[in-house]
Amino acid sequence: MGEQDIKREFPNLESNFNITSPVDPDYNCIAWAANNNDLWWWPDIQGTKYWPLGIEREETIDAFIKAYEKIGYTVCANGDLESGYDKIAIFVSVRNKPLHAARQLNNGHWTSKLGEWEDIEHFNVQGVEGKHYGRVAVFMKRIKE
Amino acid sequence: MTAIASGYMSSFFDVFEEAGTAVGEESDSIRKQCLVSFMHSIIPFSSANIIPEVKFLNLKTEWEEDTGMLSSDSEIALHPAYQQIIGMGQGAIPLILNEMKKKRGQWFWALKSITGEDPVPLEIRGNIKKMTGVWIKWGEEKGYL
Repeated sequence: MGEQDIKREFPNLESNFNITSPVDPDYNCIAWAANNNDLWWWPDIQGTKYWPLGIEREETIDAFIKAYEKIGYTVCANGDLESGYDKIAIFVSVRNKPLHAARQLNNGHWTSKLGEWEDIEHFNVQGVEGKHYGRVAVFMKRIKE
Repeated sequence: MTAIASGYMSSFFDVFEEAGTAVGEESDSIRKQCLVSFMHSIIPFSSANIIPEVKFLNLKTEWEEDTGMLSSDSEIALHPAYQQIIGMGQGAIPLILNEMKKKRGQWFWALKSITGEDPVPLEIRGNIKKMTGVWIKWGEEKGYL
């Protein structure tokens, strides 16, 4: 894919993003938000993908929160940059079905893996909101390792 | 006639797909349009659904364009084109496995649905590279490749 495809599919980004990786089918946004780039995380009903052991395989915001709690994140109030903390955002559809996750970078920008497409750095978290990823529903944070 | 056209088409598609995006972003959409035009010029539209390779390629192209930026397995697998590929039944298995050999991808749901099998051990769920390898080996052992 490329810049034009990303702009077309995520118009809220406008030009406020940079592509930061090649296309890669081996990991997705949920893994990438957890700092993992060699697995595809999803609680699919067929059980074909990685999902943290002990967390229900269901597409609910609760299951996603629990999955990230397992690696040290807790729900927090907002996505403002806080010294000493990593933050992530979970995006949901109008029916509250999780669709995407993004991770905050040290400079306050956000990084998202766009499905099988590239990773991007986007200047604000709302940049990838829209028809594909819905809206941000929850922010979580953990102490930086 | 069908077999000849089918073989010819496969070679043609391989050349186009291997061309990749090395010559720029806009060339990708031009390439796809060219591919579709060429296809309709040598195979009547009404026959496109009779030749499995052509039907598969049409459906795969539509599915990839609509879902390549998604992470949700259910959103990816419930796309109508993907469901039609599943509906092709056993005839789709070698086409899917050959596609996986070229560029992996999210074919596990379809393979599991069509075959009723899942040769992937629990410990490598989510590792797309290893899962693909397991399915290709399965396909060779079963005579699909």
